[in-house]
Amino acid sequence: MIPTLHTKRLTLRAPALRDFDAYATFRASDRASFVGGPNSRSEAWHQFCALLGQWPLRGYGRWIIADTETDAALGTTGLFHPEGWPECEIAWSLFAEGEGRGIAFEAATAARAYAYETLGWSSVISCVAPDNARSIALAQRLGCQFEAPFEHTEYGRLDIWRHPSAEEVTQ
Amino acid sequence: MIPTLTTDRLVLRAPEAADFPEFRDYFLSNRAQYTGGPYADARQAWILFAAEIGHWALHGFGMWTVTLNDATPIGLVGCWYPDGWPEKELGWLIWAGYEGQGYASEAATAARAHAYGAFGWPTAVSYIHPDNARSIALAERLGCRRDAQAQPPKPDTLVYRHPAPSEIAA
Repeated sequence: MIPTLHTKRLTLRAPALRDFDAYATFRASDRASFVGGPNSRSEAWHQFCALLGQWPLRGYGRWIIADTETDAALGTTGLFHPEGWPECEIAWSLFAEGEGRGIAFEAATAARAYAYETLGWSSVISCVAPDNARSIALAQRLGCQFEAPFEHTEYGRLDIWRHPSAEEVTQ
Repeated sequence: MIPTLTTDRLVLRAPEAADFPEFRDYFLSNRAQYTGGPYADARQAWILFAAEIGHWALHGFGMWTVTLNDATPIGLVGCWYPDGWPEKELGWLIWAGYEGQGYASEAATAARAHAYGAFGWPTAVSYIHPDNARSIALAERLGCRRDAQAQPPKPDTLVYRHPAPSEIAA
């Protein structure tokens, strides 16, 4: 029920048990500091299971970004919509192995295309911590415009970045 | 993919979005003090609720939403095997107002039979906080015995071992 997407270099696929070590390593690292971490392995387990569990709950969700050639897990991206979020967002997290090659851009572009073309959405946001310079740069590269801050009970201030609309992307 | 089980008074079915409010209320309340809570906000409860469903996809087994025959949800009962758990567990969470009527025992018995049968488990444990007297009483009612040799998932947790499949069939 979780669709698989392909890009030039990447496969966006359902998370599987074999991805958990890479995910837990990411969650335990400072790389997770902008997404509620670092987290213990048991916290990471719940978060990992929840990647899958959101799909039946909402009808959409997040994928593992896998290297098509090796199947190695390089990160996560997709449509993230937990309780307390202003609306569904396109989220991305890159593991250390995925950094620096345009992986997140390629994967997030595919996730956005899925939202617009397959799900028929007209607009979507991404939520980024105001001091997460790398994610802000990626949001801008994806054509997002800063819209407004919102205050999250756990994460503090997050900024809403609005993606180009479905119409604008297909033009 | 998630099987539905039925007992005399209960239905065990896949958790679904409409079950979230009761799950959230449980994990925000003191009832969750021995099961990882209480949580500070609904977001944490939502992640765990989504995780209950994702657990099924990862392992092929998991926790069922338990409802009365009239579809009222009364808790979550079933199989739980997160990373770091030494063994596969049978667990139960019963919402406020549905204790003391044997529902947890009835649901756990059905879940255990399915774990031993369709899922092929050779044994099962329940991990219980030493102060959780109601849960200990339920484990004993289910025929469990303390297993002091078994490794607990956390230092302060008791391991109750369920009767083996052969003992239940006997």
